[in-house]
Amino acid sequence: MKKSIGDNMIPKDWGFERGLELVKKAGFDGIELWLGDVPWFQMATSDTEVRELRRKIENAGLAVSNVSTGLHWESPLSARDPKIRTQAVRIVERQIETAVLLGTDAILVVAGLVTEEVPYNEVYQRCVETLRPLGEKAGRAGIRIGCENCNAEHRFLISPREFWQFLNDVNSNAVGIHLDVGNIHDTGFAEQWIEIHGPRITRIHLKDVMKKRGRCGDQSVYTNLFLGDNNWPAIRAAMTKVGYDGWLIAEMEARYRYARDQQFYDTAQAMDRLISGRL
Amino acid sequence: MHMTRRTFLGYAAGAVTSGLRGLPGTRVDGRPVVLLHLSQHSSESVAGYTGTLANSGTRFLHAEPSSVPHCAVLIVPAALRIRPALGAVVTCLAGGGTVILESAAGFAAEADFRAHRAELSDFLQVHVDAPVRLWTAGQRIPYVDYSWPHSAKIRDFSRVVPLAPQPGEIIARVDGLPVCLKRQIGRGTLIFLGSPLGPALWAGDAEARRWLLASLPLFH
Repeated sequence: MKKSIGDNMIPKDWGFERGLELVKKAGFDGIELWLGDVPWFQMATSDTEVRELRRKIENAGLAVSNVSTGLHWESPLSARDPKIRTQAVRIVERQIETAVLLGTDAILVVAGLVTEEVPYNEVYQRCVETLRPLGEKAGRAGIRIGCENCNAEHRFLISPREFWQFLNDVNSNAVGIHLDVGNIHDTGFAEQWIEIHGPRITRIHLKDVMKKRGRCGDQSVYTNLFLGDNNWPAIRAAMTKVGYDGWLIAEMEARYRYARDQQFYDTAQAMDRLISGRL
Repeated sequence: MHMTRRTFLGYAAGAVTSGLRGLPGTRVDGRPVVLLHLSQHSSESVAGYTGTLANSGTRFLHAEPSSVPHCAVLIVPAALRIRPALGAVVTCLAGGGTVILESAAGFAAEADFRAHRAELSDFLQVHVDAPVRLWTAGQRIPYVDYSWPHSAKIRDFSRVVPLAPQPGEIIARVDGLPVCLKRQIGRGTLIFLGSPLGPALWAGDAEARRWLLASLPLFH
């Protein structure tokens, strides 16, 4: 397995190149690029500029693990407004295009957003129908779309069986699950999700979660690896059972208040322990 | 192209059914139910009506604006620019049929809404006000209350096109706003939906399906 971390973890005042140096020095093999979340990688970033990002990443001795985005929280595929849906589709298409340019084969998509206004059945149906043609497009480009399990955050596809049925309904080999082991909170167990989805897992996001706390003011429910309630030996065993040997990508919501670079070193070392199974 | 009402009515009288002979469809008093496809933006609504009619055992025709047969029921999902459908609408009404016209103007750009409003007013004498966003102030009850042909609560679709005061029966309201109208026009009946029904049908809302089927004269 290989270790990666999001470029949105790079301290804002560091810049991309210095961030890459830190990622490499901390021991990561790759970097996850977040479309729209960082100044160097926006929807308006040209193909030439994307190629330049790749050159810098490779020069730093790293690879791109995948292309993610947080843009679908504002422009979900499940929006009622056709203009927003068009933009949401365009975001996925740009992720596919840039993934090809960056030499990776996976993107992360937040598939839908259930709200008081837009109900579950509608979100489900719209996401299935939108992802089918996107899956075809991704498949032709050699890319896999990983729909992230955001569980409580998007109030959608809360259980692993539900997610399994959703992927069955989308019915595309190019559409799977980008599994976040921290997002399951108190609604289940990450190791069971891994076991159920097995070969459909495109990438795995790593973070720990304090299941009993819930969100509390400005304090995150998420925490660094091994500080929360995830059963890491079971998670590691499930990865072995299903034969997952792909990228593990650190996604920390709570950031170190001081010595911000230290979080990169600590996280990389924790991931090494997880991979080695010395838990 | 500007079309006067007189020109339009002349055009409508000439609407024919050429090219449709031999197509399958339920014939009520010799006339079919027709689902009119107006634009690419209506796919969810069209799918909703299609699924509901098909699941109820109703056989129906899909038609393009250029080739609409005389019909007992004409359903126009997600209508924005109405002019292409006008011939079929008037022909259906003149023949004593029922027209269900669903407005898609809730999410339309300002210029498109103005054109929609003008066409409704000029050609069908249906007068609407500017779209209203229902969800601007947080929590609310997410239902449109229908009073005809029976009472029903059907989910709103975030934005509605409310009706101005005018002749006809208001058959649905949301947050006190009149949003659906039934009006007798000659021998025919026009049902205008200012809150889209198609997406609720498409999402599997059983109440919406019951309402649609009850509103069709075929089932009375």
